[in-house]
Amino acid sequence: MKGAKRIIKKELARVFKDKKLIFTMYIMPAILMFVIYGLIGNLMSSMNNDITEHTDIVTVVNAPESFKQTVSATGYDAMASVSYTDKKSYEANKAAYEDDILNGRADLLVVFDEDFESVFNAYANKGDKIPGISVSYNNTENYSQKAHNVFNSLVANAYRQTLQTVRFGDLERLEVFNVTENQIVKESKKGTEFLSMLLPYMIVLMLFSSAMSITVDAIAGEKERGTLSSMLLAPISRTEIVVGKLVALSILSTLSALVYCVSMLLAMPLMQNGMGAGEVNLSFISVDTVLMLLGTIVLMNLLFVSLLSAVSICAKDTKTASTLVAPMYIVVVLAGVMTMFSGGTSMPLWKYAIPVYGNALVVQQICSGEAQLSSFLATVAGLVVMIAVFVGLTSKAFNSEKIMFNA
Amino acid sequence: MIEIRDLTKIYKLSNKKKAELKTKDSEKVAVSGVSLEAHPGEIYGLLGPNGAGKTTTLRCVATLLKPTKGEISVCGFDTVKEGKQVRDKICFLTNEIKLDPHFSASYMFDFFGGLHGIDAETLSKRKEFFFERFGITDFKDKKIEDLSTGMKQKAAIAVSLVHDPEVIIFDEPTNGLDIITARVVTDFLRELRDKGKTIIVSTHIMSEAQKLCDRIGMIIDGKMVAEGTLSSLLAQENAEDLEDAFFKVYKRVMGEEKIS
Repeated sequence: MKGAKRIIKKELARVFKDKKLIFTMYIMPAILMFVIYGLIGNLMSSMNNDITEHTDIVTVVNAPESFKQTVSATGYDAMASVSYTDKKSYEANKAAYEDDILNGRADLLVVFDEDFESVFNAYANKGDKIPGISVSYNNTENYSQKAHNVFNSLVANAYRQTLQTVRFGDLERLEVFNVTENQIVKESKKGTEFLSMLLPYMIVLMLFSSAMSITVDAIAGEKERGTLSSMLLAPISRTEIVVGKLVALSILSTLSALVYCVSMLLAMPLMQNGMGAGEVNLSFISVDTVLMLLGTIVLMNLLFVSLLSAVSICAKDTKTASTLVAPMYIVVVLAGVMTMFSGGTSMPLWKYAIPVYGNALVVQQICSGEAQLSSFLATVAGLVVMIAVFVGLTSKAFNSEKIMFNA
Repeated sequence: MIEIRDLTKIYKLSNKKKAELKTKDSEKVAVSGVSLEAHPGEIYGLLGPNGAGKTTTLRCVATLLKPTKGEISVCGFDTVKEGKQVRDKICFLTNEIKLDPHFSASYMFDFFGGLHGIDAETLSKRKEFFFERFGITDFKDKKIEDLSTGMKQKAAIAVSLVHDPEVIIFDEPTNGLDIITARVVTDFLRELRDKGKTIIVSTHIMSEAQKLCDRIGMIIDGKMVAEGTLSSLLAQENAEDLEDAFFKVYKRVMGEEKIS
């Protein structure tokens, strides 16, 4: 296998002796990750800040005195610009009020029934009329949406309680019973939802796309340029050439996928700050889980590289190879998406042996602090079998004069 | 030493190929029953029109293709059963096989030297000699993609000779080269012949074959139709030069109407 070693060295030298290639393959993606995530985080947080800081414009029609007191008591009048008006002037300009909400000039319109207080006071028996408040807002406007939420939780609730106290005196009579909720959660699983949903999909996607760009050029591109045949004239076996190529390509694309994943993990807090998402739990990281994760990633990459090599070698040029590879990309994306929505349920062991899908499930298990040796081994077994098949097919293709020389 | 015995190579045609060649046959006989011997210290020329089977024959010698029938031995090794040994004895140069353009000539020389298992000292001596001989010393660290066509060809020749092969196989050696580079190549082939190497070239350029080759085999339509030294071929066909002789043979084999 001396020949294979030399080929690996040469393939790695092609990238690592070329500063431009190092930059485009390994440094630029990391920078981009930070820039994109930082930008998303920044934009989101400035949008959220803007919405929080906005002073809601609220018009209240026919407000009873008791309501006005609640507004001052809750401090709502300091947060929002509340203006009171009477039924008459409201009815005269009803269309204008609604138009203001529609076009974002006002955020909320609260209209009390004309005889709100008297109806409330007159209530005696079941079936009697109860008074109403109509609240108008525009849920396609961020400001109006927020004004509605704040009004409901802060003012409307408080006012309801005030009136309930008037009617019943003792609020606990209404409460009837208390509910105490206890969350029983594994410490290790807390805060893993975000990562275990996103990471398996991202890893599968990154691995395939980096393997795709590198392999298509290194196999179909070399065949097209006539440089692959020069290697066939060397006094080494074709299998050595295949092994050398595949190992080198796997190293290159694993590195590239790792750069993506690590920079994504590091840049994620930038985005989360903006989204206001909770802390990401990284307590799943330990020696054995990292080894399992790396093992899965390396083998999955070998699978992709050997699959893509088997396809690329049969294509006569890079253009044909890219066309043949495109549908596979879609299948891989689908398998990744499927794992996004199958977390948390228990699966039969054989499902972990399914290439791509099962591998992504294992990554998901590891990220959610639920790593299991049995599913890891099932995934490794499935991968090894598939890799052997595709390496065999690639070697066969290298030995075929029809494929190599169009003979 | 190259011995080809009764070489036949038949290609199976795909439907696409059939359409391209406008034929209904599912097979194409590229080479049919060709036998020849090329000896150390001689340049053997395979002469023939495009598509006659020259490249196929040479590719079979270089172990890239397997004969459908017949046997080829190079320095006593069978090209099918002992492919690795054969590849260690030969160099094969053709337009379609190129050096990786991302690397320098110097890197490629070391890389292929390594694949042939040559020790570092011998390698650096040979590199110095060949790079001087072909005038590429000044460009040895430039990427091959940045070299001119002539320089690329000279680098390819130097790299292909890294293991000091016994047998040199050259498919259309001067194709696409300017006359100065072409002259460097043909001069070098003569030099190698004088060192006792076995050389086989293919060409369709009559003047080149006439000046360069010690013995010539004419291949037409996959068959060896005439073979001998230049003088014996000229005497045999009663011709003034090789081109004249070739057309006489061609007319006899293909019939008068094919030429006009």
